[in-house]
Amino acid sequence: MNIHVVAFAVSVVIFLCVVDLVRRRRLTFKYAVAWLLVSAGAIFFTIFYRLVFLCAALLGFALPSNFIFFVLCCVFIFLSLLLTVFLCQQNSRNDVMAQKIALLEFELKELKKKLN
Amino acid sequence: MDKKILVIVPAFNECGNIGRTVEEIRRAALSVDILVVDDGSLDETAQEARQAGGSVVSLPFNLGIGAAVQTGFQYAQQHQYDIAVQIDGDGQHDAGYLGKIIGPIVYDQGDMVIGSRFLENTGGFQSSFGRRLGINFFVHLINGLTGVKINDPTSGFRAYNKKMIALFADYYPHDFPEPEAVVVAQQDCARIMEVAVIMRPRGAGSSSIRYFKTLYYMAKVTLAILLHMIRQRRKAK
Repeated sequence: MNIHVVAFAVSVVIFLCVVDLVRRRRLTFKYAVAWLLVSAGAIFFTIFYRLVFLCAALLGFALPSNFIFFVLCCVFIFLSLLLTVFLCQQNSRNDVMAQKIALLEFELKELKKKLN
Repeated sequence: MDKKILVIVPAFNECGNIGRTVEEIRRAALSVDILVVDDGSLDETAQEARQAGGSVVSLPFNLGIGAAVQTGFQYAQQHQYDIAVQIDGDGQHDAGYLGKIIGPIVYDQGDMVIGSRFLENTGGFQSSFGRRLGINFFVHLINGLTGVKINDPTSGFRAYNKKMIALFADYYPHDFPEPEAVVVAQQDCARIMEVAVIMRPRGAGSSSIRYFKTLYYMAKVTLAILLHMIRQRRKAK
C-alpha cells in the first residue's frame, strides 16, 4: 500500500507547487491551467487507483505499470506541444514588436532631423 | 511616371557591399526612395548605407531575411508607396534592371514581377550546378502545387504593386521566403510575371545559403511550402 501513499503525496506536492507558483505570480492562469489539470488528474487516480487497473485491463495492457507509463508519455507530449505553441506565439509577437520598434525608431530620427 | 516607388534592400552584415548597392540604385533611378533594412547587423552596414544616401531602418536583432523584407513592406504601406522593389544588399542584383522590373507594374500588367536569371539565355551568373538543380526542383514543385510556372522562384529581385505591398505587410513568410512568397501571392490570385535579368556573383562576404547546405535548404523550403498549403487561408482584413 505504501506506493499509493507515495504517489498520492507526490501528486499533491506537484499540485501545491503549481498553486503556490500562481499565488506568488510566477505562473499566470493561462499557463497554469494545463499543469493544474494534470496534477489534479494524478491525485484523482492515486486515490481511485483501482480505476487505473480497470482501464489498463480494458485497453488490453498486460501490466498496469505499462499503462501508467503510456499515459504519462502522452501527457508529457501534450504538455510540450502546448509549450511549443506558446513559444511560437511569443516568437511571432517578438518579431512583430522588433519590426514596429525599428520603424518607430526610424520615424523618430526623421522627426528629430526635421525639428533641428 | 508619378508613382511613389520604394526600393527595399534587406541587409545582414553586408559591409563592403551595401554602400555600392545603394549608390548603384541611386545612379540607376533618381526618383526612387531607398530603404535599407539592416537586419541586426554586427558590422557597419547601417552607417555605410546611410553614408551612401539610403534611409536605414535597423531591426534590434537578427530576424531573418523574410521579416526584414516584411519590415520594408510595412514601411511602404505606412507611407503609401505605389510600388515596392526588393533588391538584395549583397550586390548580386544589377540596379540597371530597375526600370525593366518596374515596367509591368507601372503599366498594370502584373501585381508582382520577378527578375529571372533563367527566362532567356541571358548568361551572367547562373548559380552553381547543384543549386540550379535545386531551383529547378522548386520550379516543378510550385508548378505542381499552384499551376504557375516561375522559372526563377528563388530570385530575390522583385517588384510589387500596392495590392501586394498590403498583402505582404500583413503576412510574409519568415524563414526562406522567396519560393514560399510566390505560393502566397498565387493563392491571393496575384498576377505574377517574370522578366529576364542578368545577375552577378555576390561581392564581399558569403551568401547565407552556403553550397553544402543546399540540400538542407531545399528540404526545409519544401516542407515550409507544403505546410503553407495546409494552412487556413487568412481572411482579408
